[in-house]
Amino acid sequence: MILSVRNIVQEYKTDKGLVRIVDDVTLEYDKPGINFLMGPSGCGKTTLMRLMGGVRPTNVVTPTRGTIHIDGKLCYGPHPDVVTIFQKSTNFPFKTVRQNVNYSFELGEWANRIDYDEQQKRLDWILEKVGLTDRQDNRPAQLSGGQNQRVALASAFVMKPRILLMDEPFVGLDPNTLKGMQKLLVELQEEVGCLVIFVGHDVEEALFISDRITVLTSKPAVIAKDFVITTPKALRTDDWMDTNPLPLQIEKEILHIMRQTK
Amino acid sequence: MLNPNKNLSTSAKYGYGIASILLLLTLWSALAGFEIISPAKLPAPWDVVNAEIRILNTGVLVPAILASLQRIGIAAIFMLIVGIPVGIAMGAWPTVNAFLSPLVDPFRSAPIVAIIPILVMWFGIGETMRIVFLWLGAVVYLIPMVRDSIKAVDPCWNSLAQDRGATSMEALFTAIVPMASPRIADSIITSVSVMWTYITVAELVNAQSGLGKLIESYKKVSQMDAVVALILTIMALALITYQLMRWLRNWKYDWEAN
Repeated sequence: MILSVRNIVQEYKTDKGLVRIVDDVTLEYDKPGINFLMGPSGCGKTTLMRLMGGVRPTNVVTPTRGTIHIDGKLCYGPHPDVVTIFQKSTNFPFKTVRQNVNYSFELGEWANRIDYDEQQKRLDWILEKVGLTDRQDNRPAQLSGGQNQRVALASAFVMKPRILLMDEPFVGLDPNTLKGMQKLLVELQEEVGCLVIFVGHDVEEALFISDRITVLTSKPAVIAKDFVITTPKALRTDDWMDTNPLPLQIEKEILHIMRQTK
Repeated sequence: MLNPNKNLSTSAKYGYGIASILLLLTLWSALAGFEIISPAKLPAPWDVVNAEIRILNTGVLVPAILASLQRIGIAAIFMLIVGIPVGIAMGAWPTVNAFLSPLVDPFRSAPIVAIIPILVMWFGIGETMRIVFLWLGAVVYLIPMVRDSIKAVDPCWNSLAQDRGATSMEALFTAIVPMASPRIADSIITSVSVMWTYITVAELVNAQSGLGKLIESYKKVSQMDAVVALILTIMALALITYQLMRWLRNWKYDWEAN
């Protein structure tokens, strides 16, 4: 089991007392792939993701109840094999594209993991992959929104993470750029072979990129349905979306659940 | 329609600025030229210009400027040495902030000039006292501003750094401080400007040199035109250092121009 989240119950303290935002959710991921986590906004997806990523400065650090295991080991707090791409585009404005992608290698943790030559090789590889080799000396302000997303993607994949958490990373991109980003993500995931957990709420996006779609209901979040899609991603064309019964069936079911939970 | 963010053209910006200065000069010339206010109280602009040339020719102006600049320079160095690390520590660790803010915050509204007698008792009437006074007057502004610059950094940068494997110290110095630096630079600029406003006070007690001392000596012989000329000189110097620092800041932090 690469990542398992068991019996998570998460409560927040508010003026009105404890509010339960996640109610006994168990998610188990045993093989690499893109796993879509879907549900209405405010349903606890982001909370679950933060718990998995162990990001500290929020008010959520450890679950109220439940356990998180990575490779069978109990884990709270940041884990070097888990990388998050945050909702806000987070490229340092004072660094060039290459320096941004290189950021993790500046840190002691990574400087010790792989040597300088390997770091440079990885930088060249990922910049080529995301198509920003000729923009590597530009600053984020000189790039478009889509290009900045590519930089964020590159600075995560350059670490070749075991687990990649993405919290609605493609919000606000135009349809063409969005398609490009989704293709890029699928490509990179297949090359690196990592486990991606992708939080979002676009059904079509989910059908296009996912190996598995988990639908949560809102407040508190519980798992409503789990879909596994085995169709190779190369075959998931617009035509497949429109005519194949499988995506149509899944889409129908998801929309049905969403309507019920509102 | 009200629009506070309206972009004025460069010519309009300078035009309005020059107009206001011209208006003031005209008013001043009229009041002084027709002797509506007596020349002993309000010297005319041309008298002030003459006085400036006169002081320059006696050879006391340049050494005085250099002496004042040197004091501000030394005080500024000590201000940075203390203010930046303390401000960063207070911004980064709430416990440090809770511990130090009762010592720092009240000083911002303290009558800093009234502290001079105490400083004289502690440090004597020499150079040390003047530097300490300038330093104190500015550092109590700098520390809270640096602290607030650190606090104002979006927490997402800290999250990013920690997610990538940064230790707390690495997150602070590779993400938070760099993101705060333009605002820290602004704080330094403001604090140095504060020092210029204090320079004459610093040079009031027993100074042997400096612009403040020069103003004192001309005041004693009731040469109002020279006094006004020197005040304008200080304002001009303050403005020049301000613009210079601003230019430097915008050049260094061109990713967040101001």
